[in-house]
Amino acid sequence: MASTLRLFASLLLVLIFAGPGLAQTVNVYTAWPESLSQPIFKAYTAKTGVQINFIRLSTGELVARATAEKNNPRADVIWGAPGDGFAAAKEAGIIEPYKTANIDKIPAELRDKDGYYTAVSRNTLIFMSNAKLLKEKGLKAPTSWNDLLDPVFKGQIQTADARTSGTALTRILSIYYAFGKDEEKAIDYQKKLHKNVQVYTKSGGGCTVPASLGQTMVCIAHMPDAMEAKKKGYDVVVSFPKEGVAAVIEGVALVKGAKNREAAVKFIEWTFSKEMQDLLDRNNVYMLPTLPGASIDADVQALMKEAKLLPVDLEWVGKNRKRLVDRWINEVIRD
Amino acid sequence: MNRQAVRDPVLLPTAMVVWAAVLLFVLYPLGRLLVLVFWNEGPSLDAVRGLLGDWTHRAALVNSLVLAALVGVAGTVLGFAFALLAVRGSLPTWLGRALDAVVLLPLISPPFTAAIALIFALGPRGLISYHVFGLTNVSIYGLSGTFLSETLTYFPIAYLTLKAVIANIDANLEDSAFSLGARRWRVFRTVTVPLAIPGIANAFLLVSAASLADFATPLILAGTRFPVLPTQAFLQITGLYDMRGGAALCFLLLVPALAIFVGQRRWIERRGGSYVTVTGKVGAVTRIKSLSPIAITGLGVLCGAVALLVLVCYALIAAASLVKGLGADNRLSFVHYAHVFSGGLKAVRDTLIIAVLCMPVGGLFAVVLGFLVARTEFPGRRALEFAAMMNYALPGTIVGIAYLIAFNDPPLVLTGTAFILVVCYVFRYSLAGTRATMAVLAQIDPSLEEASASLGARRDVTFRRVVLPLVRPALLAGMTVLFIRAMTAISATIFLVSLSWSLVTVRILEGITNLELGQASAFSMLVIALVYLAVVLASLAMRKLNAGSLGQAGSLLGE
Repeated sequence: MASTLRLFASLLLVLIFAGPGLAQTVNVYTAWPESLSQPIFKAYTAKTGVQINFIRLSTGELVARATAEKNNPRADVIWGAPGDGFAAAKEAGIIEPYKTANIDKIPAELRDKDGYYTAVSRNTLIFMSNAKLLKEKGLKAPTSWNDLLDPVFKGQIQTADARTSGTALTRILSIYYAFGKDEEKAIDYQKKLHKNVQVYTKSGGGCTVPASLGQTMVCIAHMPDAMEAKKKGYDVVVSFPKEGVAAVIEGVALVKGAKNREAAVKFIEWTFSKEMQDLLDRNNVYMLPTLPGASIDADVQALMKEAKLLPVDLEWVGKNRKRLVDRWINEVIRD
Repeated sequence: MNRQAVRDPVLLPTAMVVWAAVLLFVLYPLGRLLVLVFWNEGPSLDAVRGLLGDWTHRAALVNSLVLAALVGVAGTVLGFAFALLAVRGSLPTWLGRALDAVVLLPLISPPFTAAIALIFALGPRGLISYHVFGLTNVSIYGLSGTFLSETLTYFPIAYLTLKAVIANIDANLEDSAFSLGARRWRVFRTVTVPLAIPGIANAFLLVSAASLADFATPLILAGTRFPVLPTQAFLQITGLYDMRGGAALCFLLLVPALAIFVGQRRWIERRGGSYVTVTGKVGAVTRIKSLSPIAITGLGVLCGAVALLVLVCYALIAAASLVKGLGADNRLSFVHYAHVFSGGLKAVRDTLIIAVLCMPVGGLFAVVLGFLVARTEFPGRRALEFAAMMNYALPGTIVGIAYLIAFNDPPLVLTGTAFILVVCYVFRYSLAGTRATMAVLAQIDPSLEEASASLGARRDVTFRRVVLPLVRPALLAGMTVLFIRAMTAISATIFLVSLSWSLVTVRILEGITNLELGQASAFSMLVIALVYLAVVLASLAMRKLNAGSLGQAGSLLGE
């Protein structure tokens, strides 16, 4: 027994002191699924030889982790997470301003005015419906926010919970802007929508599986999540509400006190090169590039023709996000 | 009895080591977190202000208690039924093993898979609800679905605890009752059940505390209409970016945890009496006849139905791992396994190393702690018992964040190592082993140890030669639970995985959030296979180590 214990003790010691010890690396926290982020990170490594180590977390977990690590940051860059996460990160004091050399080319509504974060890409909302269930009920895919209020959709809509998911914020903003920035009308609409909602899911993409498999008819999600289901071959149709959807940002920021600052900055610079921006389309990310002039996939272009994108005022969102979410909790979902 | 502590050369140092470990790995991180919550450039309540004004939080506190109580009772009853059937049902060996294997399944369900499998089975278009029974208006979300899923997930913990306890009940005691003319039901009611009470109380504690801390199941199944506290805390932190408020909500959870802890202790003590059934004076082993054939049939039907539901859920996962895309392209395909065995091997290796390290460390810790608490007297014993339970009763998210805050900067930097994952699991999931040890020890006559002591053995020798072999089933159950949790838990460790140490569960979660059900399922199947392998190996090793010792206690896979 004693010898076994000694063996374990020495094993533990080895494990304690065996940390990473590589030369040029950038440590990245990302909220993007591996399938979307990894090809981009790999392309950077292939080009520069710099290793990108990444951990994938949900946006909230990402901010919580980086906040807890504040005194001894483990990440250098936060890359690929919704804008509201970055607003929170800015407030928590875990990121620092960094302006890319290309900053003038990037539209002002796609970056923080103090330079704390900048959009990697733009993301938007989409309706995804199960084609078989629609057919069973003789319905067409919804093309208006008001279509969703039809009693035939009662208990047949899933979408994200505003307390966990950036997708839900995009939805709330979409409704706010679609109703002409009339907050009372937007809240009133959401209360009616709530009556048809079967369940609010934790993650933004949480409703894509149930909708793909027919557990629910309609899923309101971010475009990449919905398109992922389509790519997988599920029998789903996507559609946009004609009143419009909000276009939100997926950002990048430098972590305050980053240990590999120099390499991190180079990686951020590359993010705004045409080379990387083109990768978004080549990898079927189904987001829109930030850099004007970057290529956009023909599929996405065709799809975006139907979409009416409503620009989002980042500063206004920063100031009003908490109130919108609080009203969602206290007025919309309170039956 | 403090004389005992002074006199014994081993007891006090051991107690001090255990206390030190609990202080460092339970109380210190939670203390750092408390400071974060109540310190904002001076003592401050600003983090908790407003929290109790929120209707969802108030509802959540009540809902959590109701859910924990319901799951605790149902899980314990179900665990008891399965344990009774396994130990007293005179089942053929193969059936006993099959039952064991099925019961372990829900415990091995990696994050979210059980809840999702349940939706597939019982949801609006579920395999059972729609395709078998043709129901279209099933509601799986809310209290009912959460309750069902948590009961299915956690009853195996009760089963593992109770099986050891029921196996230790000397059938001769029941025999005496029979020979005094009692009927079966009366014997069951007045002999069998009362003797199992320490086990029942511990099973209830374990199951309800697990329900209190579980945020993953409600996250998927509870919906907004049935908020529970751990999920609220998780939402507060990850959704509203309010770490201090979320941590404060978690500390609120310690109140019901303490209530359950005190309640189950009171219950045992109020009943009084002795639960001793292992005395070293065992007579001839008699044939067990406490269960009538009708009772066995009834238990068989109940357990069979539950086992069937579990099997259907896991068959769905197995199916998802073997087709291209479940529901979209149902052709047989091994691409998901190919992925697991190419890109996923590092995560599998890392997880295995960590889980294997956890087993002996955590198993020993659990048994020593259980022994200290149940059999000895030293200052702060009750406090130690509760402190050791805290990490288990708190939601993983908060434990993970507390560890990150405590061990990311000096004096003690552990983040980025495997060590932090191991200690996190050991101090979070040893409780099952500890409580099982306590339940089994309550049945063992202290005179056995006294005999050893009076023959001149030191307490550590007695512990190793007498106690350890007797609590072997509890140790095995504890190590099994620990291994399974280390293979499957994620809520705490999502904050502790690092670039050098990744975990399979992270890949599974990734698969689920990324619509890669096939990949997630393939990883889950691999985890299930590995857990079975580990359990069988552990049983074999235990049997080798203890050949010739008391053989009356049954074990996991029909040892």
